[in-house]
Amino acid sequence: MNPLSITTQDATTGPVLEIFGDLDYTTVGELRERLTALTLRPGQRLVLDLAGMTFCDSSGITALIAARNQTHAAHADIALAAVPAHTLRVLRMVGLDQIFVVHPDSDAATRP
Amino acid sequence: MCRNGPEPDCEKAPAAAFAALLEDSVEELYENAPCGYLSTLMDGTIAKINATLLGWLGLEADAVVGRMRFADLLTVGGKLYHETHFAPLLRMRGEISGIALEIKQAGGGRIPVLVSSVVKNGGNGEPLLIRTTVFDARDRRAYERELLRARRAAEQAHEQAEADRARLQDALAVLQQSLLPATLPPVPGVEAAAHYRTASPDRLGGDFYDLFAIDGRRFAFFLGDVCGKGPQAAAVTSLIRYTLRAAALHDPDPVAALTTLNHLLHERYTGDDPRYCTAIFGTLEPGPTTGEVTVRIASGGHPPALVLRADGTAGFLATPGGLLVGVLPTAPFTATATTLGPGDTLVLYTDGLTEARTGEDRTALYGDEALLAFAAGHAGKAPQAVIRALEDLLDDLGDGLDDDTALLAIGVPAPGTQSRTAT
Repeated sequence: MNPLSITTQDATTGPVLEIFGDLDYTTVGELRERLTALTLRPGQRLVLDLAGMTFCDSSGITALIAARNQTHAAHADIALAAVPAHTLRVLRMVGLDQIFVVHPDSDAATRP
Repeated sequence: MCRNGPEPDCEKAPAAAFAALLEDSVEELYENAPCGYLSTLMDGTIAKINATLLGWLGLEADAVVGRMRFADLLTVGGKLYHETHFAPLLRMRGEISGIALEIKQAGGGRIPVLVSSVVKNGGNGEPLLIRTTVFDARDRRAYERELLRARRAAEQAHEQAEADRARLQDALAVLQQSLLPATLPPVPGVEAAAHYRTASPDRLGGDFYDLFAIDGRRFAFFLGDVCGKGPQAAAVTSLIRYTLRAAALHDPDPVAALTTLNHLLHERYTGDDPRYCTAIFGTLEPGPTTGEVTVRIASGGHPPALVLRADGTAGFLATPGGLLVGVLPTAPFTATATTLGPGDTLVLYTDGLTEARTGEDRTALYGDEALLAFAAGHAGKAPQAVIRALEDLLDDLGDGLDDDTALLAIGVPAPGTQSRTAT
């Protein structure tokens, strides 16, 4: 079990959240709090960089969908960057690769 | 006082000077000492008793000395203990100390005391008399009572907590059972078996399954996994179960049933508290004469069903592209169909199984390929046997199971075996 830590950076396209550690039932509240505190302007893009994410369970997936709902409510966009292979497999299995834009890394995800 | 230089008396015998100032009478010390003194003959007859003890007893010396024995001062219980333990031990050892007894007061009260006795011997070793000190133990007894009371209170609180816990466990078990069918109904020409395992006994699970009749001919089944855990997930599970049952009666087409569920979940739970599930919904339609059963299924983001064939092969019944149920207002679901012949079995499972962490460091996942290989090893077996084999597999995975696991197997009995349905 790896503790969760999240860092926030600002790109020209909008905020970039880097997620490190396990995103699961016990830690998912931290990501939710971080997202709730975020202000998104219409047209901005929220990027979740998952390169450092070591584990993601169904609660983690739920948080990703909540983030998507939040950005859409703010008329903003969401993109995932550097999704680990296992999580990408889960996203494909549950069909979420159809509703999330997935980029290989943060650089690609923050290109205007 | 010798603070200001030498004085004749101080230099000679300072200790004696102190004693002379403070305790000028040994008799007075004996009578009014802060404990009771008592001397008895060897038969217990009281020969001498101090004023302190007489004060506690509320008696005069004349009524006691030569007239009463030590045991007469004690309560009935104390007397008994004195006869059976105190006196014999004292005779044997010549001394005894710190024995808790109670003395009777003339007014009817009783005082807890601690008693010590020593036998005084004569010049040639024969026992002459018994000297006894008696300490007032009222404060100490009160303290002990308080300790005892606190311990009882702690024990009661502990028992209450245990009872509350047991009641909560019972309530959880009842709720959990309301999320699952108690037994699977008999389906003509079909054998079915199911298994449910919670990863944690005191946490409500979010996996679900069901099998039920749609009309005289057709049956419907479903199995799925609500994202999230705990009471919130369980509430959604209940909603899903009855929505799918109602939807199936309205329109048993698998895609239609999942679409109805999707619509309901998306409308009911939106915003930052989305609730959704993965699910496979299907219908069974036994052929009238062939003994085969037509299976139609649709999947919303659920791991593909397994089909174990009578010939010993196994494969996934692919339903790619089906989306998690409840995420989007309109979601694509993928339908497929197959036919189960005699000896064939369809197995539905939740991802507790394929996501179980295996290996020494518990980081590798059990995975689809391993499951497929395992299934092929049991192809041709009846549903109950397949479920039993999967239960054994779950036992082996043990601590690696992070999530609940639900299993549902539906098959057509091979010729010569009896049709049975069980959970």
